[in-house]
Amino acid sequence: MLDVSRVQKELVEIDRDKRISGVSITLHGDDISHLSGTISGPIETPYEGGTFQIDIQLPASYPFEPPKMQFLTKVWHPNISSQNGAICLDILKDQWSPALTLKTALLSLQALLSSPAPDDPQDAVVAQQYNQDYPTFVSTARYWTETFAKRSSLGIEEKVQKLVEMGFPESQVRTALETCGGDENLALEKLC
Amino acid sequence: MADFETSDDDYYGDDSLDGLDQEEDDLLWTPQRTPSSASKVITRASLLAAQREDLKRVTEMLTLKEHHARTLLIHHRWDVERLLAVLVEKGRDRLFTEAGIPILDAAHQASARSTSSIMCNICMEDISPNDVTTMDCGHCFCNDCWTEHFIIKIKEGESRRVRCMAHKCNAICDEAIIRNLVSVKDPEVAERFERFLLESYIEDNGKVKWCPSVPHCGNAIRIDGDSYCEVECTCGLQFCFRCSSEAHSPCSCLMWELWIKKCKDESETVNWLTVHTKPCPKCHKPVEKNGGCNLVTCLCGQYFCWLCGGATGRDHTWTGIAGHSCGRYKSDHNKVAERAKRDLNRYMHYHNRYKAHMDSMKRENKLRETVQATIATSESKDDGFRDYSWVTNGLNRLFRSRRVLSYSYPFAFYMFGDDLFKDDMTEEERQLKQNLFEDQQQQLEVTVERLSKFIEEKFDKLPEDKVKEIRMHIINLTVLVDTCCKNMYECIENDLLGLLQSTTHSIAPYTSKGIERASELSVCPDSDQILNSSKANDDDAHDPSWVSSAPGTDSEPRSEGQVSCASLDDNGCSSRKRAREETLGSLLFDLNLPAEVA
Repeated sequence: MLDVSRVQKELVEIDRDKRISGVSITLHGDDISHLSGTISGPIETPYEGGTFQIDIQLPASYPFEPPKMQFLTKVWHPNISSQNGAICLDILKDQWSPALTLKTALLSLQALLSSPAPDDPQDAVVAQQYNQDYPTFVSTARYWTETFAKRSSLGIEEKVQKLVEMGFPESQVRTALETCGGDENLALEKLC
Repeated sequence: MADFETSDDDYYGDDSLDGLDQEEDDLLWTPQRTPSSASKVITRASLLAAQREDLKRVTEMLTLKEHHARTLLIHHRWDVERLLAVLVEKGRDRLFTEAGIPILDAAHQASARSTSSIMCNICMEDISPNDVTTMDCGHCFCNDCWTEHFIIKIKEGESRRVRCMAHKCNAICDEAIIRNLVSVKDPEVAERFERFLLESYIEDNGKVKWCPSVPHCGNAIRIDGDSYCEVECTCGLQFCFRCSSEAHSPCSCLMWELWIKKCKDESETVNWLTVHTKPCPKCHKPVEKNGGCNLVTCLCGQYFCWLCGGATGRDHTWTGIAGHSCGRYKSDHNKVAERAKRDLNRYMHYHNRYKAHMDSMKRENKLRETVQATIATSESKDDGFRDYSWVTNGLNRLFRSRRVLSYSYPFAFYMFGDDLFKDDMTEEERQLKQNLFEDQQQQLEVTVERLSKFIEEKFDKLPEDKVKEIRMHIINLTVLVDTCCKNMYECIENDLLGLLQSTTHSIAPYTSKGIERASELSVCPDSDQILNSSKANDDDAHDPSWVSSAPGTDSEPRSEGQVSCASLDDNGCSSRKRAREETLGSLLFDLNLPAEVA
């Protein structure tokens, strides 16, 4: 049976210093085995400023078996599937130890965002781009962060519409926005 | 026994065939164990004893606890030599840490014990010091958490490498602690842990393999020496130690795997194809006839005659195809290379011969009973022939060589085909080698058939001089067949596989005595072996007649089976020539001496 008491203790612990750590967990209704985690994109990475949602399923034998984690927010990263958010991280698989916690796991995900391991990829396309064309990788990752991980900023469709209204063709606008990581001002410069 | 010998001597006395004497040892069929044999059958009962020796060696050499020695051995796949090499190369500490044995730190453990209550980092509860366990690595958690962890790891099949719960701690947990904690909560899982741990000696060991018998006999076989060998389990199954499929030498494991697959595929599809289709002369795809007339159109658009398979035009009448007549016999009408058909023919050629010898072997198996019955009636006649070992020897030689012959066909199929060694030799080289091999193969084939013919003779119904003649033939052919087998293997190993450039392809070598029968592992190997070998020497000295009596017992399974015990029988029967060739240890050579004198 799931060790409810330990999970509750973990949740209290995470809640206590979520401001400093940049990770937090919320409950999905009554079911304590289904949680939702949030991590903020690490600074000085293409993920900076983004907020990433992670789906967490706790197996009945938790903490003796690792929690199942998956990105709900779309993210462009060699070790995270761009299709379904599946994560390739050793501590979530064979290197899991019962002494690790949900917090340490989320912090490890944050660390994974700042230091990708393209030699052990989950998403081969992203990994190939990371290895062969790093600048494009960075701008794509930034674009994805802008587009999918920022709730506060203007949605990408709105930016597209704004630029199209200025008289640029839509396809060019989209390409420009993508290459500039979603920054509408830079895109405008590029288009002019 | 003494009588046997006398009658034998008498027989030779009035026989003019002098050449025979020299080969006499050769014809005595030896039980399927070579003197160098050290293959052991490991049963459930002897599994612990089998690993005891290795464990003892490591515990004593490194002054370790047994569970640490086991951890080391599991990590190094029970290869004591490799383990020692690591010790020399990297030192004791590296050897231990890499295998997950913590280097003890008493101070660390003491500090963990000193507090009044301990916070378990897994369940995050405060626990009384009585309910926690500190592992050798110094990590301390509560017993409930440990137990839970152990049970999950055991159920995951990780029994041999249950690591500490602490993050990044590589230490393997003490098996005694696991045993104690788990058996309290779930005795069944504890039992499973015990079994997994013991079976590591089989599962994680290059020298030991489960017998592949179905239903499983429960035995495992331990070999001593090259893994390219064929063994017989005490359950009677003979198998290739390398790939665990049936014994298939002189086919290599790869060849055999391909062959089995091919036979399976072909029997289902190709048989049907050969019966129902013909290859299109243009695209070579098999075409099935779906109409009545013999002018057939392939999907590729080619028209051809169903009767001869040759390409034609498209016009036809009720009686023939315009401009085409194949009813006349023409010898050279196969101008178009029908590759598919050629390949198929090639396969069928080899397969038919492979199959034919297999079938012969099956029929000859029935022959064994007949022959034994014949021997029985002849023996009861009491006409001077007391020893019929030449028949059983011949019969055993026949089985052995039939097997070799049969498997030599799939071998040839791959050796001279395009699948494996196409780039390894030129067409001329291949032709040359093929001729060389086929010469040997043919010689063997002819000799085997002749031997088979003589063995089938109902000698109990024949007059004495006729029996003498048959005996002569069988004895000669038995030796000859063995020589042919040896020559063919020599050709395979030296001239064919030995000269391959790009790959190494190994086969289980030929042994005159047949597939080695593994002997049961005795519970106390060391002392038994000494005991038996000295006994063997005694027997030698006091009873020289056992030389001729040995073959009489050869077909019986041996239960006491020690290597040295086996060599007791062997040395009497092996030829002088072979004794020289195959003697490896000085012990065996000594044992062979009295036989030569006798």
